[in-house]
Amino acid sequence: MLFYVARCAGQLAVALIGIVTVAFFLMRAIPGDPALYMLGDFATTEALATLRARLGLDLPVWQQYGIFLARAAQGDLGVSVVTGQPALTEILAAVPPSAALAVSGMAIAIAVGVPLGIIAAVRQGSAIDVGVMLLALGGISFPVFWVGIVAILIFSHALGMFPALGTTSEPGILKGLHHLALPALVLGLSVAAYIARLTRSAMLEVLGQDHIRVARAMGVPERRIVWKLALRNALIPVLAVIGVTFAWSLGNAILVEAVFSRPGLGSTILKAILARDYQLVQAGVLVLAAAVVLLNTALDLIYGFIDPRLRQT
Amino acid sequence: MTDSRTSPEFSRRAFLAGATGLTLGAAFGTPVMAQGARTLRVRFGSDISQLDPARIFQNENQSIASHIYSGLVQYDQRTNAIVPDLATSHEVSSDGTTWTFKLRPNVTWHKNFGAFTSDDVKFSLERVLDPATGSLYRGQLAGLKEIQTPDPMTVRLVLESANSGFLHKLCAFNQGWMVSRRAVTEIGERYSMNPIGTGPFMFDSWTTGNQVRIVANPAYYGGASTLTDVIFRIVRDETAAAIALENGELDIFYALQSPDVIDRLRKASSVTVLDRPANNTVNLVLNTTTGPLQDARVRRAMAHAMNRKALIDGFFRGTKFEATSVLTSTFQEFSDEGVTRYPFDPDRARALLKEANVSNFRFEITTVGLNPFDRFPVPLANDLQQVGIQATVRVLERGAYVQARSSGNVQSCITAVVGPPDPDSPLVTLYHTRSHPPGLNTSRYDKADALLAEAARATDLAGRKTVYNRLLRQTMEDLPVIPLYADRLFIAHGPKVQGFVQNSLFTVNVSPVSLSGA
Repeated sequence: MLFYVARCAGQLAVALIGIVTVAFFLMRAIPGDPALYMLGDFATTEALATLRARLGLDLPVWQQYGIFLARAAQGDLGVSVVTGQPALTEILAAVPPSAALAVSGMAIAIAVGVPLGIIAAVRQGSAIDVGVMLLALGGISFPVFWVGIVAILIFSHALGMFPALGTTSEPGILKGLHHLALPALVLGLSVAAYIARLTRSAMLEVLGQDHIRVARAMGVPERRIVWKLALRNALIPVLAVIGVTFAWSLGNAILVEAVFSRPGLGSTILKAILARDYQLVQAGVLVLAAAVVLLNTALDLIYGFIDPRLRQT
Repeated sequence: MTDSRTSPEFSRRAFLAGATGLTLGAAFGTPVMAQGARTLRVRFGSDISQLDPARIFQNENQSIASHIYSGLVQYDQRTNAIVPDLATSHEVSSDGTTWTFKLRPNVTWHKNFGAFTSDDVKFSLERVLDPATGSLYRGQLAGLKEIQTPDPMTVRLVLESANSGFLHKLCAFNQGWMVSRRAVTEIGERYSMNPIGTGPFMFDSWTTGNQVRIVANPAYYGGASTLTDVIFRIVRDETAAAIALENGELDIFYALQSPDVIDRLRKASSVTVLDRPANNTVNLVLNTTTGPLQDARVRRAMAHAMNRKALIDGFFRGTKFEATSVLTSTFQEFSDEGVTRYPFDPDRARALLKEANVSNFRFEITTVGLNPFDRFPVPLANDLQQVGIQATVRVLERGAYVQARSSGNVQSCITAVVGPPDPDSPLVTLYHTRSHPPGLNTSRYDKADALLAEAARATDLAGRKTVYNRLLRQTMEDLPVIPLYADRLFIAHGPKVQGFVQNSLFTVNVSPVSLSGA
């Protein structure tokens, strides 16, 4: 177990350094820099030089990289060049709303997607199957920002059930959930469509295998075959997708965040990229990468729980 | 063109009358001193990033700052006339070089940072002038030689030469916003997001990507606001913001731009849509130093070739105005009398091109990948193709665009100079040689310096107006910059908002606003 934890920590460190290095050099490779962004219309050669010197942008890139790594090792990710606030603080402030949206969205996606996929697989070829697959096709095809706007038009404008804004500054968990409901539903249902399709095809594959046929021949009840024998095997690929999608929705729920006016990691990093706010981008990428690596580790543990054969590796 | 469907007038000047503000409010049936929170909720399209007046940029930042800070003088939101603020009066010496300001007594800084004195004025202005500060607005105070503080309530500014437009530079906007020596020194690096001012509202909190909250300053010298606090909520999508406004989740919809959403809100029964001409035009800046564009006839041909009226009526569905020069009617100094106009006339354009002996001319419009700048140049390029100019549009992401433009190596680009109603703001920025790249004078025009200096020497408004008119005549004849359209600002508000005044800047200021009962 100790070895396992050490290996995970090692993986985490390597992944983080790699990702942040790529982000560091990619950001500096694209045209424009924070000094130009901030001075914009008022840029003079002299003002640009002063600001670049103040931000340390006049140094060679490798030297900037060295300084960055040395400080990052001490937990100092620098200050946002645009706002002057610590980059890590600004990024961490965006984590709770992102996490809330991702967790609630994934909960809805799993609760809706997995059962629908199973029903479709069990009743393959029936009207239910066709209906579920049509719905899933719709869920995948309609862009999430469009679904979001339609949801707002229907549920907040016409029916008045939910607020149009996805967050509130008023206190109270219930109030917060009320605001979160619509964005979580929109994000969740778009992911549920993927999960339903995947669960269906995974189930069909497993249901067609020899050991299921043998079980059927031996008279094992159908309910037990579906829920115990088939689902367990079918869940592995589904779980993999859920893990990836969860990590994805932490940083990429930008469209949902934009439509429902929610803050979040994706929006914060996008804003930082547009402003060439190097420090903020680096801190954001670092936090996202850490989240993804930790999620994958958690997922590995869950695989082992579902399929004992995977425990050894 | 200002739409004033707002009900009872409740302007800031009513407040400036002091205690009478309360009685006035009562007379209008506005429950002024209601118990509990009276929160105004304003929509912002994007987040704030910087509230230090020396470094401030972007409309959202300036909107917040306009509630927190005051200046020696300020623009009247309605008329753009310059009226007193922190200075109650000022005198100019007969040679026009010494300006003496009498400061308002008993003004205090927010959050117990002490009394406002002439030393703070000296500190604020010197801070902008100090190259180490890296202020964007250092050039605005060029010519300010010395700042004297004979006593705590008097400031004397000595200029290198007479400048009748100098008061514009001291107006409550950007470099004109006063900061506290003690606050800036004590708060240090974090000051940019912990601003201290003397204005009607105090900064309370900022939640990244979500909202900014300011609270009323009970000690405000102009009379405390009847609101308890204002929340600026970041709602990026305009449709979502419109629904939130109709649902009563928001009170004021700032930065309303989409023609669809404007239509929608105009039809909504509980919503008031205001609009006003802005201080800026959107322009096509032509590099006059290379190729056929060196010939003024070619530039004039382009102006005749582009159907700018169709752009406004069609693409923008009437949500912009026609522009006759880079100044708009919102400037007190504006006069377009005798300024050459370029009506849509493809035949004239072809004739001019023939006269200039230009054919097979490749022309590229560089623009920024932000709505609507990435799309509206397309029909214009199409118009240019109709008269035989091989026009293309190159769209760049903002960072890349700014870099390309500041390098000066663009044949043409789309530039708007958004700023206060100070004519020097667009004119110096677009035509003066000191704005050559990396500045915005990417046409590298060099024939305006003398007239701009002459405008500064003019002694009164009428004199300034005459000189600026000559400058507009000349620049619209030489045509290094083709004004495409004049911007128009839309703001909508809900039924509870009383006394809102829309300004001609790209900012929103809710200081005079009160909320009517539920």
